[in-house]
Amino acid sequence: MIVKTPYREAVDVLVDEGGETLQLCYQCASCTGSCPWGLVRDFAIHKVIHEAQLGVVDFEDEGIWLCVACGACVNQCPRGVKLIDVVKAIRRTVMELGVGKMPSSLRVALTSIAGVGNPMGEAKEKRADWAKDMDVKTFTKGTDLLYFPCCLPCYDPLLKGIAGATAAILNKAGIDFGILGANETCCGEAIRKAGNESLFQSLAQKNITTFSENSVKKVLVSSPHCYHTFKHEYPDLGSDFEVIHSTQYLLQLIKDHKLEFTKELNIKVVYHDSCYLGRHNGIYDEPREVLRSIPGLELIEFPDYREDSICCGGGSGRLWVDTEKGQRFSDIRLKQAIDLGVEVLAVACPYCMSMFKDSQLTVDGGETVAVKDIAELVKEAM
Amino acid sequence: MGRNGHRRIGVYICHCGLNIAGTVDVEEVAEYAASLDSVVVSRHYRYMCSDPGQALIKEDIKNLGLNRIVVASCSPRMHELTFRQVCQDSGLNPYLYEQANIRELCSWVHDDKKIATEKAKDIVRAAVRRVCWNEPLEVKEATFNSNVLVVGGGIAGIQASLDIANGEHKVYLVEREPSIGGHMIQLDRTFPTLDCSECILTPKMADVGRHPFIELLAYSEVEEVSGSIGHFKVIVRKKARHIDESKCIGCGVCEEKCPWKVDSEFEMGLAKRKTIYIPFAQAIPNLPTVDADHCAYIQSGGRKCGACIKFCEAGAITPETLLNQTDQIVEFEVGSIIVTTGYDVFDPSVMPRYGYGKYDNVITGLEFERITCAAGPTGGRIVLKDGREPESVAIIHCVGSRDQNYHEYCSRVCCMYGLKYAHLIKEFTNAEVYEMYIDMRCFGEGYEEFYKRVSEEGVTFIRGKVAKVTDRAITEEEKGKLIVLCADTVLGSLIRVPVDMVILCTALEAHSDAGQVAKIFTLNRRADGFFLERHVKLDPVATPTDGVFIAGCCEGPKDIPDTVAQASAAAAKVLSLISKGKITLESAVAQVDETRCLGCGRCEEICDFHAPRVIHTDGRWVSTINETLCKGCGACAVACPTGAMSIRHFTQEQILSMVEALTEV
Amino acid sequence: MNKFEPQIIAFACNWCTYAAADLAGTSRIHYAPNVRVIRVMCSGMVNPIYALKAFEGGADGVLIAGCHYVDCHYLNGPVKCDAMFEKLKNVVHTLGLEDERLRREMISASEGVIFARVIEEMVDRLKKLGPSPLKRAREEAPSLLKRAREEATV
Repeated sequence: MIVKTPYREAVDVLVDEGGETLQLCYQCASCTGSCPWGLVRDFAIHKVIHEAQLGVVDFEDEGIWLCVACGACVNQCPRGVKLIDVVKAIRRTVMELGVGKMPSSLRVALTSIAGVGNPMGEAKEKRADWAKDMDVKTFTKGTDLLYFPCCLPCYDPLLKGIAGATAAILNKAGIDFGILGANETCCGEAIRKAGNESLFQSLAQKNITTFSENSVKKVLVSSPHCYHTFKHEYPDLGSDFEVIHSTQYLLQLIKDHKLEFTKELNIKVVYHDSCYLGRHNGIYDEPREVLRSIPGLELIEFPDYREDSICCGGGSGRLWVDTEKGQRFSDIRLKQAIDLGVEVLAVACPYCMSMFKDSQLTVDGGETVAVKDIAELVKEAM
Repeated sequence: MGRNGHRRIGVYICHCGLNIAGTVDVEEVAEYAASLDSVVVSRHYRYMCSDPGQALIKEDIKNLGLNRIVVASCSPRMHELTFRQVCQDSGLNPYLYEQANIRELCSWVHDDKKIATEKAKDIVRAAVRRVCWNEPLEVKEATFNSNVLVVGGGIAGIQASLDIANGEHKVYLVEREPSIGGHMIQLDRTFPTLDCSECILTPKMADVGRHPFIELLAYSEVEEVSGSIGHFKVIVRKKARHIDESKCIGCGVCEEKCPWKVDSEFEMGLAKRKTIYIPFAQAIPNLPTVDADHCAYIQSGGRKCGACIKFCEAGAITPETLLNQTDQIVEFEVGSIIVTTGYDVFDPSVMPRYGYGKYDNVITGLEFERITCAAGPTGGRIVLKDGREPESVAIIHCVGSRDQNYHEYCSRVCCMYGLKYAHLIKEFTNAEVYEMYIDMRCFGEGYEEFYKRVSEEGVTFIRGKVAKVTDRAITEEEKGKLIVLCADTVLGSLIRVPVDMVILCTALEAHSDAGQVAKIFTLNRRADGFFLERHVKLDPVATPTDGVFIAGCCEGPKDIPDTVAQASAAAAKVLSLISKGKITLESAVAQVDETRCLGCGRCEEICDFHAPRVIHTDGRWVSTINETLCKGCGACAVACPTGAMSIRHFTQEQILSMVEALTEV
Repeated sequence: MNKFEPQIIAFACNWCTYAAADLAGTSRIHYAPNVRVIRVMCSGMVNPIYALKAFEGGADGVLIAGCHYVDCHYLNGPVKCDAMFEKLKNVVHTLGLEDERLRREMISASEGVIFARVIEEMVDRLKKLGPSPLKRAREEAPSLLKRAREEATV
């Protein structure tokens, strides 16, 4: 029989690292009940939280690295425990005290971000290559809008379409915008969730300084992860700019009649609420309104949609961790889309797109559904 | 009084044991007070509110000719009346007293002794300056109207009414529904004894109906209350039932013959009622009510139906009553009011994860009460919506309670009624029963024993807050069932329980219109929405408004024993007021300096209580105050452009003296 | 050099805010010692002259606090206080005092925690703003007056 003794010092460390709400937990386990891991394996997050309350967390447990920061648990918690922050505190302790180990593939991605500002390990200078053959200028003082595409669309050939479509739309609408290319670096959102606080701070400072030097006032992002950190985390570090997600911006363009649709798409589309747009930031309606305004587009909903949306599995650094087949949330979601008989699975997040495109390779019938960003659909109908 | 009319002040610094003396150097403060202008004596003592403490003051008033008293101690909200009484007993006008709050506002909120002592000195200095400006005020009394208004005819209102009426004082019991009985009459069995709710309640209801001292105004609502303790004026709207009550014999034929049906509120929407209806068999008053919004005759202006008119042998229903009867306004005076408006049930539709409103067989506790009730929509058979008996039932605790997203508080009764349902299901069906709980709160008499009894009946207890109720099956045995998904914290694993019926133990919450009710009776609301009591431990049925009491679930969720106890407690408070027979009027009311008054009327305009009136007298316009209506709120004094209006005991000079004392360098 | 400790005069209504302050005490919630509370029956009883006298006397901050709109024992006191406060704000501004020195709050009897928090926030804010300009004027006034007299006699 394993006997455990509570260890107060460990609790204090976790509280100091931002996990102070662990003290509120009254062990009801509604978090474990709502956690998406329950769909595919045993994972009791409530046990981890209680271990944190007692100071007996097993820092070497791989379970610490399972959390995808989807927010389903935080949404339901009756005591207001911010589980994502508690898990983050545990990971920070691992990083800073050297207890336990981060999964190696995650470590590689972080090293790459630290070195060249993107998780792919690609050269910093190539960050603006996606816009090479397009009419996209460099942002300078006085440009109205900064478009910040996110590392993935900049470098990943499968996701380039997001950035390309967005830029094309902005040009068509006559918006004065620019990009910073090699002068910007990864927003750092997933790095912070993965527990590397110092790397996050240095990335954020770099971006904040660059933006400030260029008098950036308003930033358009394609990724809800960038949106989230720019909106909620950068201001504490001194940033002073407005951030807007592409679905919000597109809706505004449509409402202001700056965009005109000339084609009818005639497709059935199901929209997947990404965790960072939906649960974390309450943006559920704008993406749907954009989709509904595209002529010939029939919008269908997943049975578990909006706050109940299932995470794609890419958050909190897990985009770069290998998940066993049979345990991938994106597989489940893609299967749902296939069963609904839609032509397109629409997303508004590059991480979701990356996860779903991966799933298409292994799930039966994966090729029958196209995975597209809302910006891409808008461009198709323009 | 006092020699030469000069102020002779006695200052008393209370230790309050260590509550004050532990943080404030009371000796130093007493010494400091002695150095202040006009202070004749300054003492410090362990407990000023005790008999010896009070005696100190009395002795000094007698021997030293003191004409002003300051006690530095707890909050005036605790003991101002105590020390005012001490003054009065010594022949000193009670308004020549000030209390300096150096406990709640000082010793209890700081721990640095030096800082707390300096602050205490400031507070004492301000009180000493202020008391110099205090004037003696006449203590006026008025007779106390022994009539009582009870608002809300549930078990709390019924109990309170009977307690007072049995003392042979008149009670007006106002109830907004067509019959009294509240929610308790909707319950089937009551825990832990499982006695039938109707059986224990209806005799009391009948007593109310025929009590010579209770005037029952059912299907009525209080519209307005004015005045103050001892003499409230109440305006009640008696809603039109559209029948002639004096002729009705309660035969029920009209209801039988009525062809129109709508959802029954009493049956929680599980059955229909007619548009002329008696809500349930034992209704008091036993009168039918016409639902004017759905009555075909009324809605068609007399062209359609009219069946009830035809069949009413007593002639109580006529075209006149149906088409022309209007609400009646009733006015009366009472000396005290007891508010017993009860609770609402939390609507779980705002928690889509439990599927209420989506799945037929997810129901709330009150709905289940109607199902098990023999007189209810299923004749007491525990069945699903399609009439089948359930093979398995899940009872989910804490729906809307103990949840910061809805209500943070615990609703107190749900664990017990959840156990009650488990027992009833086991008694009357062969179904499996699962209780999903976080904690089992069985605090009352016989409650823990009941929990043990239910455990022995084969009920399965799962410790985990339910995450979801879904109909998406992943195995054969789950098909066609509702699956309750939760993590069992003890096992540390996820549990999927396929069941036929899910009962949600929903929270009790304040009525949706509690805000309007609060305004009418000048009640405050707590952060959780229920009405605020005067002191949560020591005065749970009184409110900050003198003469207005609260009892039962409107003061917070509670079970029937506690509700009845509170109702009787409120009745006792009222009976004690009635027995005293007189009340002291507020002395700190507005007063007009006629030499400064221009008769501009701004005071009359701004007052919500109609106390100031500008009259023409001696060839000029001048304001006068009706002191029985004045509440002393001070608005008129601020509005007055010449400073003619002031509030006794809160004059400009008195307040400014404190400001100056506190801002001295 | 003594660190600046701002002085706050608070007018608290008997039924709500004063009760909240009492509740903070019964709950032993500690907060900064810079406030001195004056009890009034209603926030509608606060005459603007009280706040002005407080500032004149050198107070660094004035808090006028009473019931929420729905809670007032006298029904519409908070509304009346609001109307007075609008005008008082302008006068305080004209006197050259920073807007944050005058604060209006609605704190009900059960909100002891909030009372403590408001005081802490105000003290924090006032520490950053520094002593009231009227306080400095008051301190300098005697010497200014002396100089003026000297110059007048010349």
